[in-house]
Amino acid sequence: MQHEVLIVGLNHRTASLEVREAVAFGDEQLDDVNRQLCGLEGVDEAAVVCTCNRVEVIGCTRTANGVIDRIADFLRVAQIGPGQDLAPHLYNYSGRDAVRHLFRVASSLDSMVVGEPQILGQLKQFYARAASVGATGAVLHRWFHKAFSVAKRVRTETGIAGRAVSVSSAAVELAATIFDRLEDKTAMLIGAGKMGELAARHLLGNGVGDMMVTNRTFDRAVEVARDFNATPVPFEHFNKYLPMADIIIGSTAATGFVLTEAMVHEALRERKGRPMFCIDLSVPRNFDPRINAIDNVYLYDIDDLGTVAEENRDERTREAEKAERIVTQEVEAFWRWLDHLEVVPTIVALREKMDAIRRAELQKTLGALKDLGPREREALESMTEAIVNKILHTPITRLKQRDRRSEAFYIDAARRLFDIEDSDES
Amino acid sequence: MDLIFFAASMGLDLVAAVGFIVHLVVGRDGPRRLALGALWAAFGTQTIGLALRAATLGIAMLGSFHDQLSLLAWLIVGIYLGVQTRYSLAVLGALVSPLAFLLTLSSYIVFSGGQTLPAELQTAWLPAHVAPAFLGYAILALASCVSSVYLLQERQLKHKRRGVFRRLPSLETLDDLNYRCVAWGFALFTVGIVTGSLLAKATWGTFWSWEPVQVLSVLAWLLYAVLLQTRSVGWRGRRAATLTIVGFALLIISFLSLNLGLPHGRSFG
Repeated sequence: MQHEVLIVGLNHRTASLEVREAVAFGDEQLDDVNRQLCGLEGVDEAAVVCTCNRVEVIGCTRTANGVIDRIADFLRVAQIGPGQDLAPHLYNYSGRDAVRHLFRVASSLDSMVVGEPQILGQLKQFYARAASVGATGAVLHRWFHKAFSVAKRVRTETGIAGRAVSVSSAAVELAATIFDRLEDKTAMLIGAGKMGELAARHLLGNGVGDMMVTNRTFDRAVEVARDFNATPVPFEHFNKYLPMADIIIGSTAATGFVLTEAMVHEALRERKGRPMFCIDLSVPRNFDPRINAIDNVYLYDIDDLGTVAEENRDERTREAEKAERIVTQEVEAFWRWLDHLEVVPTIVALREKMDAIRRAELQKTLGALKDLGPREREALESMTEAIVNKILHTPITRLKQRDRRSEAFYIDAARRLFDIEDSDES
Repeated sequence: MDLIFFAASMGLDLVAAVGFIVHLVVGRDGPRRLALGALWAAFGTQTIGLALRAATLGIAMLGSFHDQLSLLAWLIVGIYLGVQTRYSLAVLGALVSPLAFLLTLSSYIVFSGGQTLPAELQTAWLPAHVAPAFLGYAILALASCVSSVYLLQERQLKHKRRGVFRRLPSLETLDDLNYRCVAWGFALFTVGIVTGSLLAKATWGTFWSWEPVQVLSVLAWLLYAVLLQTRSVGWRGRRAATLTIVGFALLIISFLSLNLGLPHGRSFG
């Protein structure tokens, strides 16, 4: 019976947070769950994966049908109690679709935020947990490790995780194109709008060393500054502090220009031309647009940042398509391997390979010993056959033992040790 | 024999150029590593080629336009390879390797077997002049490549458009590297000018003779001096990058005037 791979589970698209919470296994349950899954009739190998966005059982069987239902029942009974209906939330994949699904999950193509990097680490942990209680075998081993390497390939060959897709992260990305490092830079936050605070938090989170906060109401500035561990600056003469600011974030409710061309010119003179990055997140705008024309000053308003984020999202979509192509290739490679993971064809291939070697070597020897008579030739022939048979006897007996857990392992080992057929080697 | 090595390094420069450009556009790391390997190989083969030339011609090789060009290409590549161990700047490689290719190609085209240098020039002053001057040229060439990348990146940021070149280094990195290059290049170039006039004195008895190479070199020198001085009052970034490139253009003209028969009194070649 052919090995069949399958996945049963639910994720953020099929189930609400409440359902996911109810189904999720606690850390202390994991080992038992993995063991119990393996004990289900027909399940050869199993690993449960349980993150905040998904609960999935990844398994391998050689039983024709009913296995998917048994796993679904297990989830239902174990988690939300009998009688309640989990069925509408569950999906299942088998065959190539299952292979593809795991590869897509590992590559973060199935994530809520496509390209987020945590999922790969989580998968590795859950696989290790299942392996530690002996719930996995050769198929899951190969399948998961292939998924890890696909994820790595996707990461290095596509820009799926490389780009900022929000306005605040676009601001950080731009800061990094202007400045070499952010650790020795100072930012100034003018006003206390939501967007401004968000951008400031992002910049601090990405290493900006120091922060000043100013606000028309000084008390508010003090309050925000405390929150950010920053220095409050009086609004009346914040321009005195401008030369110290490498990054200026504007987020006020003012209707006129808070930051003027003259102020920036003045600050720049004191800064000896060191570049300034001005981020205007207010509507109407707070920074005079002409500031952008000043040498070494870069002004981005909320629309500019929005455009950057938008472009990045487009790029991510394009990169995701590239990633899907990689996944497709790898699915085929894994499928070839799985397809060949059977006892009889392996034994046949093994015999053929050995016999081919035997005959080739025999030819060589007989070619050199031309004066041998037919009897000697026959003796050599049967002797070499006997050697091959003796050598192959134990391996073939092992392969035929058909212990369901170790069978795939031995087949895989035999195919690799004797270098049989195309099995992909990556 | 030595020509084989030049041809090889020329081909390798081209491979490197293509590799770096593909890396910039596609973003994969493979082409970059290939390009870097090719550039190291180009540097190696050219080292052998130059060593063979030096073995046959000795000091006189410094008078041949062919060797001057390939010496420059060799120095530029060598300095880039040194710089890139500290700053990983593939985009700079995308400028440096085509430049090295063009220089090697020109040196190949102008090749003429046995060139003789006027005997009066074959003094110890000649290498003392050529070594710092060429090293200075090479570093300033690298500076103008850095400046070009700066101008490109600056333009993208100002116009809020990001085209194919999304993987450029930060402005601050480029400005800083440019400053370092100009400072080192300027220092070596200064030594080159001083030893050059000493060479002129030793050869023709006069320090200064209003030759194009002298006038243009001094102009470029003044420009770089201004550039370095004004950094402290805020001439950095775009302005510094533009001046670096203008200065280097002057140097190219001055270098060519020496070799391509602009009217000047004494021939070096």
